[in-house]
Amino acid sequence: MIKAGDIFILILAVAGVGATYGALWAPRSVGHTAVITVDHQVVKELPLGTDVELTINGAIGDSRLAVDQGRIRFIDSPCPGRYCIHSGWLSRTGQVAACLPNGIVVEILGEEREYDAINL
Amino acid sequence: MPQPIRSDPSTSGQDDRLIAGFAALAIAIHILEAAFPSPLPGVKPGLANVVTLIVYLRHGLQMAVWVAAMRVLVGSLLVGTFLSPTFMLSVTGAAGALAALAVTGRIGGRHVGPVGLSVVSALTHMSGQVFVAYHLFIPHPALLKLVPILLTAALLFGTVSGLIAANVLRLLARPAAATA
Repeated sequence: MIKAGDIFILILAVAGVGATYGALWAPRSVGHTAVITVDHQVVKELPLGTDVELTINGAIGDSRLAVDQGRIRFIDSPCPGRYCIHSGWLSRTGQVAACLPNGIVVEILGEEREYDAINL
Repeated sequence: MPQPIRSDPSTSGQDDRLIAGFAALAIAIHILEAAFPSPLPGVKPGLANVVTLIVYLRHGLQMAVWVAAMRVLVGSLLVGTFLSPTFMLSVTGAAGALAALAVTGRIGGRHVGPVGLSVVSALTHMSGQVFVAYHLFIPHPALLKLVPILLTAALLFGTVSGLIAANVLRLLARPAAATA
């Protein structure tokens, strides 16, 4: 019922389908630069290649940001809600974290912008 | 193994009846499947392709093309997807699957059975659909993330369909079944 050619095809097919996992599920393109704006003014463009910690002065105080392995996040901010800190690490193009009370927005720039939502 | 009983381009009344019968069977399966909810858009067993495969192996490519074309056309009219994106995907899938059957049958000859043919045609079916879906309807990278899962499903269902076809063909080949 199952012939040699079938086995051959099955092996090829499993290998081929397996290869698509490797090819298409590889990590996405990481962003290259984080742009930090305070009160709509760009104050810093930060390459994500080098790990640093920095302090940005905003409307109500100093926010601290950290760059680590191509990612960036807020690590401290004087705002009450701390939503910026809870936004966590940003690494993909188009991702944004904002501390609105302090007027600080961090956005990742990169080659290809990704959608944050799609509705069909 | 593809052993076309008829290869002349003119279809006789006998062939017409066979095409109609097989197409009706395929359409029934097609509609039954459409009624089942799918865990993932684009994933369904594709059991109607079992009919195409059996027709291809027993009666040759030309009859299989007829049966598949009838199934896609009438099936879409009955389900209500005629000329909709679903229909376009159906046409692409069926055309891809038939092309794959023809090429694999030609190259593999008697070394390839229903399972191999079914797997190749299921994968081509799915690839063709994803290609059209990506280029015509959803040109979004996220669709490509879905490809491995869709292909895995195609591989599994293709194998199952092939096994079903192999069993049906075995039963059809019995002399007793010929009278049924």
